Amino acid sequence: MPKLNLTRRQFLKTSGASLFLAGLPLPGFTKDKPPGTISVIMLEGGMDGLAAVPPIGDPDLSRMRKGLIPDDYLKLNSLFALHPSFQYFGGLMAKNNASIVHATNFPYTLRSHFEGQNLMQGGGLSPFSESTGWLGRALDLAMLPGRSLSLDMPLLLRGTDKNDNFYPASVRSSSKLSTQLIDMISMAHSKEGASVFNKVSQKSTQKDSIVPRDPASLAKYAGKAMSQEGGPLSSVIKVTQFDTHASQGANENGYHGRQMTLIDDIIAGYREGLGDAWDRSIILTLTEFGRTVKINGTWGTDHGYGSAGLLAGGSITKSRVISEWPGLADRDLFQKRDVMSTIDYRSVCAACIENALGLDHDLIADKVFFTPKLPRVYDYIFS
Amino acid sequence: MNEQFRIAQKLGLMFRPEESLPEDIKSWAMKQLKAKSPALGVNNTQAKKIQVWPNKLQPDLLTRDNLYSEYKYNRQREEMDLAGYNSEAAKQDNEKKHLLLKTDQLKFSHRNVFGNDQVKLRFSSFWTNHFTTGNIWDNQNHIGHMMEEAILANLNNNFSEMLYKVTTHPSMLVYLDNCWSCGERSQTAIWAKQNGEQAGLNDNLGRELLELHTVSPSAKYTESDIRGAANTLAGWGIWPGRISDQSELLSIPQRHQKLLKMGGTINSWDFFKQDHAEPGNKKVLGKVIPAGKGGLRQLTDFLAAHEHTVKHISFKLAQHFVSDNPSKADTDFIANAWRKSNGNLDEIHSAVIERAIQSKEPKFQWPMTWLFQVIRLSDARFFKGWGQLNRYDNSIMESREIFEELGQGFWHERQPDGYSSDKKEWLSGEMFERRIRFSDAIYSAGRPKFKADDIMNRIDASVTTRSLVANVGMSEKSKFIALMCSPEIMGLENA
Repeated sequence: MPKLNLTRRQFLKTSGASLFLAGLPLPGFTKDKPPGTISVIMLEGGMDGLAAVPPIGDPDLSRMRKGLIPDDYLKLNSLFALHPSFQYFGGLMAKNNASIVHATNFPYTLRSHFEGQNLMQGGGLSPFSESTGWLGRALDLAMLPGRSLSLDMPLLLRGTDKNDNFYPASVRSSSKLSTQLIDMISMAHSKEGASVFNKVSQKSTQKDSIVPRDPASLAKYAGKAMSQEGGPLSSVIKVTQFDTHASQGANENGYHGRQMTLIDDIIAGYREGLGDAWDRSIILTLTEFGRTVKINGTWGTDHGYGSAGLLAGGSITKSRVISEWPGLADRDLFQKRDVMSTIDYRSVCAACIENALGLDHDLIADKVFFTPKLPRVYDYIFS
Repeated sequence: MNEQFRIAQKLGLMFRPEESLPEDIKSWAMKQLKAKSPALGVNNTQAKKIQVWPNKLQPDLLTRDNLYSEYKYNRQREEMDLAGYNSEAAKQDNEKKHLLLKTDQLKFSHRNVFGNDQVKLRFSSFWTNHFTTGNIWDNQNHIGHMMEEAILANLNNNFSEMLYKVTTHPSMLVYLDNCWSCGERSQTAIWAKQNGEQAGLNDNLGRELLELHTVSPSAKYTESDIRGAANTLAGWGIWPGRISDQSELLSIPQRHQKLLKMGGTINSWDFFKQDHAEPGNKKVLGKVIPAGKGGLRQLTDFLAAHEHTVKHISFKLAQHFVSDNPSKADTDFIANAWRKSNGNLDEIHSAVIERAIQSKEPKFQWPMTWLFQVIRLSDARFFKGWGQLNRYDNSIMESREIFEELGQGFWHERQPDGYSSDKKEWLSGEMFERRIRFSDAIYSAGRPKFKADDIMNRIDASVTTRSLVANVGMSEKSKFIALMCSPEIMGLENA
């Protein structure tokens, strides 16, 4: 077992956020140390990219979205601005440690949360076609099967059955687990039951510790774990409630604004926790789709297509807004309602894997995303 | 495991010690579909007598809405920093008196632990999950009511009736944002436009009605169909915050007056705001839906009978009750019963029972189902009594905590696709570790009356299970944990 001081009670799930850590090297599997770490902030529900990074220079924005444009945005360039919820992220951009990819998505246009989430995690060519996730497959390719910290195992991290998970139990009146008892139970099971109980047995030898509860502390905790020698190389934090059909709000105190503040807090938490390991880190957001350009009738937005991705970490040395902006005029919208996606976000994920795990782009394109001709966008992000 | 328990595990919650085992298990399971059982439970964990839940803890919808209004009313006063409302004690008292989450969760747990209608309860949980709602947007006083009155009360009805009752229930209309939606050409939207306000459609419930509750994406509906469904739904529902009012301090009669003006009723389960409704016909998957309140019933009836709905939900039923990998024959058998009976739930559920009995495939059980089965098998007292609802006891977990630790609960904030019945979603070290911990806790805190050997004799446990229990030593607790985590009790293998 790795020396890392990661134990079962170190994980948590509250305040709408969950943390998963993965890529803890297991004996016999680890090759050379990969060059960096990769962290994913999964935003469930469909983050509104136009709210996060409003294209204030687009003349159609105010026509389509009156009431959803924040007052105190941070101007990034003549076309784009940053929502005021992203105070910390904005600071990182100023330090050349963060970038934005805009008008992007996985190639999925049917607007179902569940198909979209399956694709954004599974990275397959069609919904529900893969039983493993793109990050799990990448960790497998890098020979880094490991553990995630969660009660369930997110599809994103599923790879070989060597992968495992942690989640801090708090079951009153239960005592310390007996390894001998678990081994007996494991032996009575066959197939998958035996394999899973065997993992429980391995974990039963680890000691308990206290874990933080809020998302920022969670990210700080994850960052700290990842900064340690032999620590996990990957982490995933899941934040829910981005499905803002009603009362979305324009500013940082609105419903969507508060969710975006959570993202900002998480990135700040990572920065603090990672310490010196920040320099080799990359953090990226992931969401299943963007939202309609036009505000709906209930001060919200419905399911859309193109969104924005936020990237942060010391691996980025020049901040940019990477976008082939399609425009918001009616003729430029996808099906006359959504932001067109002009950058395949799988390319962005592939670049982050390449940067963190040192894998070749062609290998990632072929074995992780099953798309040999997936464009390489590494240089746009990391050069 | 003998046939009685094998079937009770797949379709029910296991026989409690006081229940005699039926000789004809199929006939028993079919009769269970019609079983009538009030909510049963205990007053406290020491109580020997199982009783009917007190009426005062099972308020009707109007009372629930009024309680919530009172809660919001007091919260407004708290925010205004008024004396008598702003202390920590007053805050707690307000929650205790007016919010029903704790009560409803305990009642649900008691029903499942003590109920005489175990097969019916399992179907009820299946449909509660199919029609997922969650505790967002001031929804907590509604969820338990929907489970009892829209789902459990309609299990012997037609699917179309259940679909309509669920779709129009405030728990669903609030959870999926419909209570704010109004048609683009409605009087309200026109007025809003003229006055520089925002009002119009959101498609959240319209989309999920098609994707999750009925036809599924296999029907290849379009955005226009989704919009048609959303327009049909426009006008339905009232936000609990509105009942209590955001800006004014209103008495209950004043609030009722306001509701009557808006929807012609104070019943939030039949609340249709005509001035929010989209005029004119709508079209969904080729079906023309007329304008007005009655349009929704026509839409839900149409969707309930749609071939894609039949196939979609028949597969879900087979995967939940028959086998982890149901065969096409399993799904077809249920779908045929659906078609022949025009969606009669008794017939559909009978087909599920028939197929589950016939199939010798194991069926892995959800965490909450497994927990209830362990408690029933051993006759433990693991949940609080209703008389202990507001008393803190370090040795007894709250229902909320139990479901949180299990990673499954019907009051959790979660996505509308609900919990998966697919075994692989639940196979993780931590999920299994919980089963060990809960077995331990049930033994230690729940003081089960039946020991591992008694239970094994009663269920006629397999050689593998007996061997496992024999090998873990003489400790009764270890034997209990080993039994409850055996492949046989977890439904992982037909040992």
